Amino acid sequence: MIVNTKWLEKYTDIPYSPEELEEKLTYLGLESKIIENAADRIEGVIIAEIQEVLPHPNADRLKICRVATGSETLSVICGAPNVMPGQRVPLARIGAVLPNGMQLKPVKIRGIQSEGMICAEDELGLSDDHSGIMVLPDNAPLGGDLRNYLTGNGISIDIDLTPNRPDCTSHIGVARDITLLTDGELRIPAINFQESDALTSDFIEVEIENPIGCPRYAARIVQGVKIGPSPQWLVDSLLSVGQRSINNVVDAANFVLLETGHPLHTFDYRMIVGKKIVVRSAVDGEEVVTLDGVRRELNADVLLICDAEKAVAVAGIMGLENSEITEDTTDILIESAYFDPATIRQGSRYLGLQTDASYRFERGADPDGAIYAMNRLTDLIAELAGGTVTRGIVDNYIRKIEPARIKVRFQRVNALLGLEIEPQWMVTKFRKLGCEILTQDADCVVLKAPGWRPDLEREVDLIEEVVRIYGMHRVPNAREMHIQPNYEEPLNYKLVEQLRQSLANFGLYEVYNNSLVSQKHTGFGPQKLTPVPIRNPLGKEMSLMRSTLVPGLLQNARYNINRQNNDLQLFEIGFVQQFDRKYETHAREFQRYAVLLTGYLEEKYWGFERRAVDIFVLKGLLIAIFEKFGITAVEFQPSVHDHFEILIDINYRGNMLGYFGMINKTYLTLEWDIEIPVFVFEGDLTTLLENANLGKSFTPLPVFPKIERDISILVKENLKIAEIEAIICKNAGEYLKELKFYDLYQGKNIDKGLKSITFNLVFQANDRTLLDIEIDDKMAALHKILKEEVGAQLR
Amino acid sequence: MSLLEDIHEVQRQLQHDLSQIDINAQSVENLRIKYLGKKGLIAGLFKDFGALSSSEKPEFGKALNTLKKTAEEQIKSLQNRVAEQDNKGTSFDYTLPGYPFRQGRLHPITQTMNRICDIFGEMGFGIEFGPEVETDFNNFQALNFPPNHPARDMQDTFFVDKDILLRTHTSPIQIRTMLKTKPPVRILAPGRVYRNEAINPRSYCVFHQIEGLYVDENVTFAELKLTIEVFAKRFFSKDVQLRFRPSFFPFTEPSAEVDISCIICGGSGCRLCKHTGWLEIMGCGMVDPNVFTACQIDPEKYTGYAFGMGAERIALLKYGIDDIRLFYEGDIRFLRQF
Ligand SMILES: [Zn+2]
Repeated sequence: MIVNTKWLEKYTDIPYSPEELEEKLTYLGLESKIIENAADRIEGVIIAEIQEVLPHPNADRLKICRVATGSETLSVICGAPNVMPGQRVPLARIGAVLPNGMQLKPVKIRGIQSEGMICAEDELGLSDDHSGIMVLPDNAPLGGDLRNYLTGNGISIDIDLTPNRPDCTSHIGVARDITLLTDGELRIPAINFQESDALTSDFIEVEIENPIGCPRYAARIVQGVKIGPSPQWLVDSLLSVGQRSINNVVDAANFVLLETGHPLHTFDYRMIVGKKIVVRSAVDGEEVVTLDGVRRELNADVLLICDAEKAVAVAGIMGLENSEITEDTTDILIESAYFDPATIRQGSRYLGLQTDASYRFERGADPDGAIYAMNRLTDLIAELAGGTVTRGIVDNYIRKIEPARIKVRFQRVNALLGLEIEPQWMVTKFRKLGCEILTQDADCVVLKAPGWRPDLEREVDLIEEVVRIYGMHRVPNAREMHIQPNYEEPLNYKLVEQLRQSLANFGLYEVYNNSLVSQKHTGFGPQKLTPVPIRNPLGKEMSLMRSTLVPGLLQNARYNINRQNNDLQLFEIGFVQQFDRKYETHAREFQRYAVLLTGYLEEKYWGFERRAVDIFVLKGLLIAIFEKFGITAVEFQPSVHDHFEILIDINYRGNMLGYFGMINKTYLTLEWDIEIPVFVFEGDLTTLLENANLGKSFTPLPVFPKIERDISILVKENLKIAEIEAIICKNAGEYLKELKFYDLYQGKNIDKGLKSITFNLVFQANDRTLLDIEIDDKMAALHKILKEEVGAQLR
Repeated sequence: MSLLEDIHEVQRQLQHDLSQIDINAQSVENLRIKYLGKKGLIAGLFKDFGALSSSEKPEFGKALNTLKKTAEEQIKSLQNRVAEQDNKGTSFDYTLPGYPFRQGRLHPITQTMNRICDIFGEMGFGIEFGPEVETDFNNFQALNFPPNHPARDMQDTFFVDKDILLRTHTSPIQIRTMLKTKPPVRILAPGRVYRNEAINPRSYCVFHQIEGLYVDENVTFAELKLTIEVFAKRFFSKDVQLRFRPSFFPFTEPSAEVDISCIICGGSGCRLCKHTGWLEIMGCGMVDPNVFTACQIDPEKYTGYAFGMGAERIALLKYGIDDIRLFYEGDIRFLRQF
């Protein structure tokens, strides 16, 4: 909503500068921003009249203009094509400063002295127009300061209105809010027109078929008007809030809308068949052509204004072409109605059409204000376009809208706000708001809210008014804070944050990806979930909720690889959804965590060989994560999937913790345009936390020395390390405390089909010092068993 | 001779020795022993100093300490020069870079949310979560958004079905919590939310919100102001000024927007604050009685406040980021900066 200070001053005095007003309105809840006026930066430019245009002796395209300022006559060289004698124009004299910072100096152009410059709009910073000089209206004051002339129409302020304040979609509404601060008087324009003897009811009858959608419909006729241009004050007023003048009647209706906030409609009475207005719901599939020339198909949510035969307006939204005011219109039917907010909103949404009228009706117009607005428009039309006004208003108020009666307890106001405001102060402000005080005692007041404030329904709504008028910024902070003891540790939250921190500490970078994805994403991987579809997506690429985190990470990998960053260690923690009608929200949610590794772990560096990421780097990372959560001895189970070169499921006590693997090369190239190996993991966070063993207990430290032995053997290359480990554990006896695999070798000096492997064993007893000889015996026995069971050769 | 003269004498000797010295490890060590050793000249002076009466001490103490400090500094610098000379003769190069230790980073949104949760956590707020796919009841109706109300326009919504949607704010967590817990309730509700808005540098269809809710007897607007001010000063800087101005949210009444004085220009006006001197950081207000009623809590007995802020917006301000899409691209060059 744009308001103009000069316009506002019609209704109340404003003892503030524009900047003060901007701040005060903002503190009242009307977030305001002064619209910068380009003319503010023009200095020393005056209004002058061109008296004579003479040719320049030395240049065909230039003219010498004799220009009168009222006090002197100057010679100015001008090259504009549109310069003509008799024009009033902006003249920059020597010394003037233009908005671009240029200062005018005396100058000779092609040998002739120029005593100033006639300006185009772009030179004044008013627009980009450089097609010719700016021509001012003939009544622009000769010799007057251009800046004063251009800014004489007040300062315009853009208010970002919240949806609860339909009253402030008008200048009177904003002026009323200003009186809350100034305690000044609110001046509502008087109504002056005379009615003729012709009865309105002889010309029109109003029938409301849908009283829910249209509680009130009032009509009146003005006969014999003359459509023509609007007077300058009306043109200027509309222009000051960014609206163009059309003709006197249309402008008058717009003016009353911007003045009172009540939308009105004017019909060409000739086009109304059967002296009848019928308000009804549209029929599904019914078609109309609105004023903007668009053919629209309606449904039953749309409310229509009809005559005896046809629709003539979409109620509260837009009129139809078939009844609009034209140059030869003489008799006008004025409509001033109150339409139900929800009905107008439904219709407006169905049509995808929001207008100044629908904007106001759907926020709640003033049912009582309909009559004043009608009278005000009648008055303006009679004044500007002549004509006679029929006697009386046909006012069908079929469903009475009663403003709320509200009891406000003074104590409650102060208790909720933490203030101590005098009851009388509150009551004075309630009156200023337009509330009618019904009863009042020491403890409370009962009042009736004004029709223009449909948002005032309950006590708390008036408490808001109190703090708004008092000034939220003036409410002192409480001195104390009431803190509730929390007996319960927010455990899961903390664990998730620990996981996040651990992953970062392991060198991974956290990413966030969009949860709205395409089918390519939801179709990925071994754990396919039916994705949740979005009915009204931004596009096909974002029409589903993600069901796995890995594709987002692949997308990040491609993004970075395309920018020459191949060494990536990324993770994301987030929710994925599965479509399932069994749930109240049709969605089951899982919290997941996922990792992607590619390239090298370290950057190029001196002194060591950097490690390329492989499946065992990822496996080691996962084991470290699980250990953080007290989960050891997980089971790895090979699996198969088209998108994976290698795929391994991770199980723990019968629960699947997740899967990891190396992405299939062909899939990676075709679908993701990535040419280097990529390793990924995805796990379910809830499963991880449910299986976490967080209780820690102390084991006494060993007191007796340990004995270490290595065992190096040659075995068949297809023999799994885990199988050999199992044999060793089973046969090494009770004193084996640690078993660590630490070397694998194939190649030179080793026969084909074999591999050399080395383990480190640590023996220790809790109650005595072990003897070397008993461990030697144990090792000899182990060698023998390994030879018998898997054909191991001792190295 | 007074002690002061002795001090000056040692000082002169030291300067003399320093000007004459042939720098090597042995000569520097000898010098150190002569002046700073346990039985060195300066230790001797301190011994004499100890014998003075307490009225004389201040006069000499300062001079003596200055002498000791000068000697220490100058001998240390000689020792460094010796060490450097030694190294020049060998292949050891202390200018070689140290080996890198791998380190990752938390996403800036995580860091922002964690910081916010920490500050409110210290003020006794617990943490609650809720689903991203929500019912119309939890997301709108229970929060006092009537059907067909223009307030719904403030939050363009993605729908899964007629009454099922992607939550547009984390406020439904308030409803879920109040439906299962009786007051007092003091919680934070962080999470991912969705708005059906075209993606551009200023808006993204996904973002993160943190809401707070406190419900108890006698909760006041003045206490809300205190809580928010403590947060803003802790999070941004203790010098920021706050501005509360009336606004509208269906689920709070009265409602307010909170601005802080611009963290770049301090209020004089700059590009970040669009020359207003203020930055909008959150919305807040007193819980609307209709919300209590929807949660079967007696609005006469209990009052409460709620506040909510967008983590992305806070992070944009805090780090001076000018494009919200950077948070969702996973660009490693961006992530390394936090
Ligand atoms: Zn600033």
